[in-house]
Amino acid sequence: MKKYSILLLILLMSFTSCDDFLTVVPETQLSSATFFKTENDFIQAVNGAYAPLRAYYNGPAWLLGELHSDNTFYMRNVLFGAVENSENLADFSVPVSNGTTPNTNVLAAWRQLYLIIARANQVLAPIDAVAFNQESKNNVKGQALFLRAFAYFHLVRYFGKVPLHIIPVPGRDGSGLPLSEEAAVFDQIIKDLTEAVPLLPQKAQQLPGRVTQGAARTLLADVFIYRKRWADAEQVLAPAISSGQYALMASYAMVFPKNSTNKNNSESVFEIQYREGADGLQGTFLYQHLPLPLTVAEVRALFNTGNPQPLDGQGNNIPTPDIIAAYETGDLRKDVSIDVITVSGRPGSNKLTPVIKKFRDNHAQHNNHGVNWPVYRYAEVLLLMAEALNEQGKTAAAIPLLNQVRTRAGLAATTASSQANVREAIFKERRVELAFENKRWFDIMRTDRIQEIIVPYGRRIVANPLNYYFPPIPGAVPRNNVFTNLDKFYPYPAAEAEISPFF
Amino acid sequence: MNNHYLSKMKIRLFGFLLLMFCISVTSFGQTQSVRGVISSEGEPVPGALVIVKGTQRGTVTDIDGSFSIQAAAGETLVVSFVGYTTKEVAVVGNQTSYTIELALSTSNLSEVVVVGYGSQIKKEVTGAVVSIGGAELRDMPVSTIAQKLQGRLAGVQINQTTGQPGRGMQVRIRGQLSVSGGSEPLYVVDGFPITGDINAINPDEIEDISVLKDAASTSLYGSRAANGVVLITTKKGKAGQTNVNLNVFSGFQKVPQRGRLEMMNAEEFAQFKKEYYEDAKQPVPSVFQDPSIYRDKTNDWYDALLQTAPISSYNLTLTSNKERVNTSVVVGLFDQKGVVVNTDFKRFSLRLNTEYQLSDKINIGVNVAPNYVYDNTPRTDGTRGTGIIFNALHTWPVMPIRDESGELTLFNRFPAETGNIFAYPNWVRSAQELTNETTRLNLLATTYLEWKPIKGLSLKSTFNVELNNSRFFFSNPSTATSAINQAIPTIAASIRDNNNNMSWLNENIATYRNSIKDHNFEILAGFSNQHFRLDQSRIQADTYPDDRLLTIQSAVNINRGGTFNNVQEWSLTSVFSRFTYNYKGKYLFTASARGDGSSRFGVNNRWGVFPSTSVGWVLSDEEFLKGNEKVSFAKLRASYGITGNNNIGNYTQYALINNTVNVAFNNVVTPGAAVVSLDNPNLGWETTAQFDIGFDLGFLDDRITFNYDYFVKNTTNLLFAVPIPQESGFTNFNDNIGEIKFWGHEFQINAVPTKGAFRWSVNANLSFNRNEVIALADGIDRVYGDFHITQVGKPFAQFYGLKKLGNYANAQDLANSPVIPGRSTVGSIKLEDFNGDGVITFGGDRDDRQIIGNPFPDFSYGITNNFNYKNWDMSIVGSGSQGQDVYMRHLFSTANLDGVFNMVRRAGDRFRSPENPGAGIFGTTVGGGNVTGIERDWPNSNFVWDASFFTIRNITLGYTLTKLPKVIKSARLYASAQNVFVFTNYWGGQNPEVSMQNNGQGDGGNLSPGVDLGPFPVPRTITFGANINF
Repeated sequence: MKKYSILLLILLMSFTSCDDFLTVVPETQLSSATFFKTENDFIQAVNGAYAPLRAYYNGPAWLLGELHSDNTFYMRNVLFGAVENSENLADFSVPVSNGTTPNTNVLAAWRQLYLIIARANQVLAPIDAVAFNQESKNNVKGQALFLRAFAYFHLVRYFGKVPLHIIPVPGRDGSGLPLSEEAAVFDQIIKDLTEAVPLLPQKAQQLPGRVTQGAARTLLADVFIYRKRWADAEQVLAPAISSGQYALMASYAMVFPKNSTNKNNSESVFEIQYREGADGLQGTFLYQHLPLPLTVAEVRALFNTGNPQPLDGQGNNIPTPDIIAAYETGDLRKDVSIDVITVSGRPGSNKLTPVIKKFRDNHAQHNNHGVNWPVYRYAEVLLLMAEALNEQGKTAAAIPLLNQVRTRAGLAATTASSQANVREAIFKERRVELAFENKRWFDIMRTDRIQEIIVPYGRRIVANPLNYYFPPIPGAVPRNNVFTNLDKFYPYPAAEAEISPFF
Repeated sequence: MNNHYLSKMKIRLFGFLLLMFCISVTSFGQTQSVRGVISSEGEPVPGALVIVKGTQRGTVTDIDGSFSIQAAAGETLVVSFVGYTTKEVAVVGNQTSYTIELALSTSNLSEVVVVGYGSQIKKEVTGAVVSIGGAELRDMPVSTIAQKLQGRLAGVQINQTTGQPGRGMQVRIRGQLSVSGGSEPLYVVDGFPITGDINAINPDEIEDISVLKDAASTSLYGSRAANGVVLITTKKGKAGQTNVNLNVFSGFQKVPQRGRLEMMNAEEFAQFKKEYYEDAKQPVPSVFQDPSIYRDKTNDWYDALLQTAPISSYNLTLTSNKERVNTSVVVGLFDQKGVVVNTDFKRFSLRLNTEYQLSDKINIGVNVAPNYVYDNTPRTDGTRGTGIIFNALHTWPVMPIRDESGELTLFNRFPAETGNIFAYPNWVRSAQELTNETTRLNLLATTYLEWKPIKGLSLKSTFNVELNNSRFFFSNPSTATSAINQAIPTIAASIRDNNNNMSWLNENIATYRNSIKDHNFEILAGFSNQHFRLDQSRIQADTYPDDRLLTIQSAVNINRGGTFNNVQEWSLTSVFSRFTYNYKGKYLFTASARGDGSSRFGVNNRWGVFPSTSVGWVLSDEEFLKGNEKVSFAKLRASYGITGNNNIGNYTQYALINNTVNVAFNNVVTPGAAVVSLDNPNLGWETTAQFDIGFDLGFLDDRITFNYDYFVKNTTNLLFAVPIPQESGFTNFNDNIGEIKFWGHEFQINAVPTKGAFRWSVNANLSFNRNEVIALADGIDRVYGDFHITQVGKPFAQFYGLKKLGNYANAQDLANSPVIPGRSTVGSIKLEDFNGDGVITFGGDRDDRQIIGNPFPDFSYGITNNFNYKNWDMSIVGSGSQGQDVYMRHLFSTANLDGVFNMVRRAGDRFRSPENPGAGIFGTTVGGGNVTGIERDWPNSNFVWDASFFTIRNITLGYTLTKLPKVIKSARLYASAQNVFVFTNYWGGQNPEVSMQNNGQGDGGNLSPGVDLGPFPVPRTITFGANINF
């Protein structure tokens, strides 16, 4: 029996190391149990919160903010279907059912913005409990607070009431929240930004591309102006103007970041950072704002890449006759912002088509560029300040700020002097100065001018579809449901509504 | 690990061991040496098994059919051999010599069947097991085992989803499915659950295959058993014999004309284009004004990709079982070109199986099987980016394949005014110039040491290793691409993937077998550890200055997103035991259980226990049936048990950080990180509880046998990435949820209608499988697949879309029917307003979509006929499925009514005007994408077509030579035809078994089955071969 006892012993011993044997942690990926322990972890995590901004500004941001306005339209290509997701935005026919829409661009905006929020929450929740360099911690916290507020500010303007997540979700429970009132969302945004401003360094002390104190002040001022808290806006913005961190570039053409140069220049307050190459950090938006189809030669003429490919589909974000007409005679910004190219594949005899020029720069690889997207720049800071002052009755103080922007554009000082006229002058100035920078829809909706501006715009399109890039093909006319949805807010994305029990 | 569980395991294990060692050996009567000769029809039967009933004493007959064994008077000798009826002979008094005549059997009830961790006499099997011998499959000229098994086994559904050599076989046992876990069965080779590709194994190495279907037979494989288990036993020598066998065949493969997707020829296409512009009241482009100029000038891009391809196979097998050594050696070479140009599949294989009897008490065995598989398949399957065949199908037939000088064109593009919006690369060039090769070096080694310290007790330790090294290399030069809309030159690119994996398994098993009077029992207990590790590295590079040198270092770009290394690892610790008991061989009982601890399971849920039990009753041994002239055998059996599916991913339980969420600051790449999944420490296996009841009958001395099984199983705790609101920053939460019920009937019949000089045997099977989704997660009653829905209360993965009612016939019809605002016109597709809200909508949960088809058959069946007449033999194997639909996904391009692609011929007969409404399948072209886009972009019933089929898989005709030189024992010549003919009304392509695969390796997206995107065609193969025994 002794032999067997030894055997038994061996058998049972085999189980002693069982626990180790069965614990297999992923070797090529970190898990949350081991992360958020060091300064470097938090810096990487806040960096990760910036990442969705790239996708947001390559896509949904201009679709929801610019194409959905009188500044740009699509160029109908009858050979392509499945284009309703962009068409619906451009011609104000976003379908609504029970307050939700299947529009995929609305969905993409929602998801990218909440991704920023979730990543910011992942940083903000544990950061106070981990000890590391206070200056670095303040910087990281400030950036995360800014990014969360930035995303909520976009969401609340798109949708009104939205779920308000300020801590990471633990699991399936709590992954969806009830809609919070607009006011509550704004309270959180203002709280976050107010906290962020003192935590963040000035632009000169910050790595270019990261959020700065000036950016946080500008965003907060934008929020206050949206809420018509004019005095608060003035107060928060004044230190940014007096900080000496920012100045207008000498000419409008010099304002915009190039493929690898002129990024985060002295006029830049906050811009989305793209980088050309195979690292996955590239911009593609230059290729989205094009009339189509384009031949290889036409694509090469635009970007001078080494491997131009033909482009087809339905072109989007084509400057409308309205925006072209909005530039005053002699406005230097017009030719910087828009040019006219030959689109040989365009049906009919008129091949000349306007196209956004201001962001364009040569680069090496097809559909992969490093041009940054300007979100806030000093010209807008001046116009925001002018608006805040004018609305408080400080019209005289507002006019010089407006004129700084006009002078750079080669225009004479404004002739407006009454508060109402200056208000209108600022509104018009914003349109041309910030054309194609995704400001137009927000300006129209926040000033309650949807009916006044969009309705006649729609009539012009229906009356003269050829002027709005419809091809001279029988039947190729605006659909019969265009300009039927003029709501201030977008419906909630249907795919999210299906899952959330709250909307 | 949960200590409570562990201690329970220890106690249980200890108990079993104690039981094993403490049971005393029963005594039996005085034995004597009994000798005998076994023969049949005047010929000795070597290799027959002789055992003394109810004991462990047994032997096999030698080459002369003689044997010697210890037996006492009153005991019974049981003589069995494959192909013969088992015979029992009583040992009488002092008679020591017996001449036993075996009758040729028509059934195989007396066969020994391989079951989990052992073997059983078929008669005593209580689970649902089907098995087939390798010899029955030998002549089929195919590369994989699964192809050979198609249609052979009731309850085993095998579909060839693509014709790519060595790939695309989808095996489902009893219709088992999972939402996101794997659904392929567990393959066990010589006792070793393998992790690599079963298709790498040379089918000629296989002695026999058993498929375990019910829980009673699979539960010993615990958390890996829910999808069924396929046990493969490799070749061993027959006792006392040395055999050398050469099996060669060679032939060719061709894609039959019949069944191909009918596309427009050049003239028809030009006619369509002409009509398109006429109907749109636009000027007809000059190239289409006279379609007749294209008569007989069709460029058939699909046909241009095809070739007649050779196939050949050489196998040399040596088996020897003499003295104390049992050896078998199988050397194989399989060489197949594909019917798509530049397709190549080669396998060099070697197997060396050796068992050595060190003493009466100790055996050791070593099986080593290295093989090398090379395969190159152009990117044939897939959508516009990767599917050359799909792209070729819808390329304009007016575009030249070759230029005037006979050179392949680079790419084709007509002027924009012709409506050509895509650049079409030359697909023949793509097939020729793309490299898409995998080379795999596999080694499977199983070893054991068995010690039989006392009679009836066996202690066996095994150590098994599986090594796989695979290298994948993809490249395209600047002159070729698999993607449509790429002008040439394109960007030259390469992908290199290197996988090394290693799996080892140690098992320690004690088996004790004894009989006390009429009580026969076996106790098995064991424990095992298995570990798997995969090291993968992938480098993706592009933009090469020189097409001749697609090395990593010569690339301008290393693609960050496609360059990574990856480790996948799992561990599994198990304890298992089984108790088998029968009384007089007629009342049968088995109980078994396995406990699995897996690294894949969450820390709170690390161990799973999988028990089962089964009973059987051999009615034909009862007095009331004994000696019945008609009914020769009858058995009832029933089983119940619980099994698991642990194919839930290795790290699914963890909240993972993606540390490549990089950003640019100051135009410099800066590392970023983000939490990309939520953790679930409770995550576990999928659980399947299965009940099975069945019976086996034999009539007329088992000349006709019939088997029936009914099963019902409930799979719960399905691994499911439960979609959660993305306001959380996450898309889903991995959880075990829901319930799917499966049930079905299986029938199998074997019969020998004629015996004698002309012998005909037939084997037929029929399976019905049904399923219903009982529950998904709380608050979630549906999951969408690509064109599918999996919805509570309905069968799994149904086709989902809008229902086509026709086309709007005229203005009045349009005015009086629900329409799509802004899009519907006269002649456009008319869809059903399923939700009754007056408009047609698509998207969201409350739109007009409904279930429009079922990818699963009503039933599937197979029939095999074997004929023998003198020296001639012939077999015909056929199988089919009835009632399933296929989603003809390619129609979104091949019936794109905007004329941007070539189209199916049927689209010629479309709606042109209220007076000329066409066949009703395809609508008007007028109005452009805004109108035509509905028909192709919104999944609808126009895509769904019945794909019932019956395929004659194989016909083989053989002739055995009789006058032979002495060195040759026997020789047989044969001709074999594979995929002889497909009977079907399916018109979407030549393979009604099609199902688009996610990974091309057989286990596609469970939620999206039955999608046809024009895959690699399945050829007809004709071969000639010889089996020669030396």
